[in-house]
Amino acid sequence: MTAVDTSAPGRRARAPAPLDGVRVLELVDESAEYCGRLLAGLGADVVKVEPPEGAPSRRLGPFLDDEPGPNRSLAFWADNVGKRSVAVPAGAEGDAAVVRLATKADVLVHSLRSKEAEARGLTYDRLASSIPSLVVCAVTPFGQSGPWADYQADDLVLMALGGSMAACGYGPGPQGGYDTPPLAALGDQAWRTASTYAAIAVLAALWWRDFGGPRRARGAPGDVGAGGGGGQFVDVSAHECSASMTEWHCMTYLCSGTVFRRGPHPALTGTDGRQVAALNPDFLGPHVFANMLAMLESQGVAGELSDPAFADPAHRAANYRQVWRAMKRLAASNDAETLYRLGQSAGLPWGVIRAPEEVVDDAHLQARGHFVELEHPELGRPVTYPGAPFLAHASPWRLERRPPLVGEHTDEVRRQWDVPW
Amino acid sequence: MAGRGPNLTRVSENTLSSGLVGRQGDELSSAGAPDGADGPDGAGGAAPAPPMALEGVRILDFTRLGFGAQATLICGCLGAEVIRVESTVRPDPIRVMPPYVPEPGSSGEGFGAATLASATSAASPNRGGIFYKYNTGGKRSITVDARHPKGLALLRRLVALCDVVTESFAAGTLERWGLGYVDQRAVRPDIVYVSMCGFGHEGPDTAQVTMGPTAQALTGLTFLVGLPDRPPAGWSFSYLDHVGGYLGAVAVVAGLLHRARSGRGQHIDVSQLEPATALSGAILLDALVNGRSSRRPGFPTGNRRPDSAPGGAYRAAGDDRWVVISCRTEAHWRALVAAMGSPPWAAQPRFASFDSRRVHAGEIDTHVEAWTAQRDRYEVMDLLQRAGVPAGAVQDAADRLERDPQLADRGHFTRLGNDEVAPLPLEGLPLRMSATPAHTGGRLRRGPPTLGQDTDEVLRDLVGMETGEIAALRAEGVLS
Repeated sequence: MTAVDTSAPGRRARAPAPLDGVRVLELVDESAEYCGRLLAGLGADVVKVEPPEGAPSRRLGPFLDDEPGPNRSLAFWADNVGKRSVAVPAGAEGDAAVVRLATKADVLVHSLRSKEAEARGLTYDRLASSIPSLVVCAVTPFGQSGPWADYQADDLVLMALGGSMAACGYGPGPQGGYDTPPLAALGDQAWRTASTYAAIAVLAALWWRDFGGPRRARGAPGDVGAGGGGGQFVDVSAHECSASMTEWHCMTYLCSGTVFRRGPHPALTGTDGRQVAALNPDFLGPHVFANMLAMLESQGVAGELSDPAFADPAHRAANYRQVWRAMKRLAASNDAETLYRLGQSAGLPWGVIRAPEEVVDDAHLQARGHFVELEHPELGRPVTYPGAPFLAHASPWRLERRPPLVGEHTDEVRRQWDVPW
Repeated sequence: MAGRGPNLTRVSENTLSSGLVGRQGDELSSAGAPDGADGPDGAGGAAPAPPMALEGVRILDFTRLGFGAQATLICGCLGAEVIRVESTVRPDPIRVMPPYVPEPGSSGEGFGAATLASATSAASPNRGGIFYKYNTGGKRSITVDARHPKGLALLRRLVALCDVVTESFAAGTLERWGLGYVDQRAVRPDIVYVSMCGFGHEGPDTAQVTMGPTAQALTGLTFLVGLPDRPPAGWSFSYLDHVGGYLGAVAVVAGLLHRARSGRGQHIDVSQLEPATALSGAILLDALVNGRSSRRPGFPTGNRRPDSAPGGAYRAAGDDRWVVISCRTEAHWRALVAAMGSPPWAAQPRFASFDSRRVHAGEIDTHVEAWTAQRDRYEVMDLLQRAGVPAGAVQDAADRLERDPQLADRGHFTRLGNDEVAPLPLEGLPLRMSATPAHTGGRLRRGPPTLGQDTDEVLRDLVGMETGEIAALRAEGVLS
């Protein structure tokens, strides 16, 4: 890999990050920015290339204090925290600058379709001919080939085509038919899934290039080979990524011919009106029911479930309505947070349904040091961001830079990467 | 290749770019072997299979259910050697949970009211449909009783021979067996140990349990699926089994990269919660920075997104058939109007600007739906896409398997089977790598292992045991 950049303050003394010294150049629209966010957290130097007026995602709301502006987009902040920004001119001059930057990079992540890459002189063949070690990862709606390769998509289109949307939503109305549409989750989940797969592929490609590769001795674990695998082209189809997220739906169809129809997830409503996702107690195995029964009895709401017949899973399955009614009696006298904890105390996989921002108050995640405050000097105040997606004490997640202002690091990167303009 | 639809292979005539034809051809030769027999030797004397990115990485895999198994599935599809350690006494619950792959000529059961408590009727631990999905990637299966002293000793020998240990038990389970990180390190100082447990191994709530839907509720994702002013509908599947598994795969490769540069292993503690917190993106920041609570009237917004108007799901012809349309630009709107035959209603001044269309979105939706409802969802999609408007049919599992021409052309499904199950089209890694192609069947090019299928081979070829030694262990019940 590229030599470790010791010019950054404090870097010398720290435990090496998985991607220490790895330079990632990012030329993407909002669809693939989450990939670079993940790579930055693993220690890569992620440099975002933008036009002088800023990346298109800077025009997406919501904005800080609802005032639009390239440095005020919260959509941009969410996925660009931890990166640096280089502004390049539009057109051929800017594309030439991208090539010069790429010669000093390990990875180029872009969201260009093959025709666009061709038109801009950024095809993999052209880049690889002068930079054979470069890993190029393209994240596009449908991938670089196939009958839909030139089709347009936003996240909603991908959630529809991928299958998760057909399986989510409310159940049939009183007349029997569906009176509400299938629903796609908010939050650009198809793009984020594609970005995550892109990050996995980039990591694997870097492993192959630097530590795996043809010379790695088979059957000798721990041996770090000389690498030499070279760069390659990774073609990520967001549609395929979206299509692979629906757990058991394809297998159920293959096994039984049954197509899963949408319906709401089982939830109990507590006395405060908030809800708890309440899976069938049998879901985790027969031992859970006994624990739940003891809890319901201690709360005085077990009712008919105390009948020994309910010790038989088959009886419970046939009389699940009564099990559910007992759970609802429990809900009738507890608020949602208490319900959640009561269920968990009995080993039930229950979870209180939180709004996204309520996660920040979770004591467990706080104890794990999950949320990170980053100073925004231009605002004179810090902003809280979600942090490490896992705990790796020997190579802690790095979240140290607030999202970059447009072109904030143009001169700094040119100097550090030694790129003439 | 002959006689098989293009949708059931990893192969496409399309190449990534002209310089890669040779490599694509290599892939073609290995993936083109007969159904269920895509072994490395099954290519019939053609060029050797291309290298795979994680080739040479060996994972001792104790994962169960979906979350952990998803992580090692990805690693296996990337070429890692994954050795699943299983138990015949306590099989992985998804081995014995419906839906079951039916016997030839019989009809199968749906997922329906599947619970682990009611799953004891499984005729075989090798026909569980969900197991089938999560355990391709060329995973091997060995059965060892970790609670037997000789089983524990054997597992420690295996740890010493592996780069990575993965597991998804409750926190503390491996420690109780004598196989916790400290024990692993004693036999393999630079082991990369990735645990995948609902609440993780640190923190006050580690004893709590999650399934995907639990973690989705706790992290705000359930809240993001719903119509305004109604309780959330939530997800009907374990999205976070997938996302958690993706981050488990990230942890495995990141741990290997860190080991390569530092010489040190570590324990990476993956929970099912933290991978999810960044998935609400700007919605979370809007609350934290602007103080705008997500619990406000009109939120969540159903299928309405802030950057499209009109946009959403519209009824198409047929029973409960839908198509989505997203007009994000003036050009999209003009193309939509033209595709609908430039109806007079669309020319009204109050629909002339994006902001104005947002204000009148409900009225536009009614007009658009009157048009889509007369047409097949794919017809609408193709008509609009050819005009440059983002649009897509709402597809279910059957549509993806049988109708979607893009998934077919990309080779999204690969047919794989095993000794008990005839080849079925399985989902693999949804991406292509030019130099190190991924494969749904992993390096072995084979389907999910039957329970204990590889015990003898692994003990003989990897551990170096004699046949008699293996037989003696089996007689003592160690290999159960």
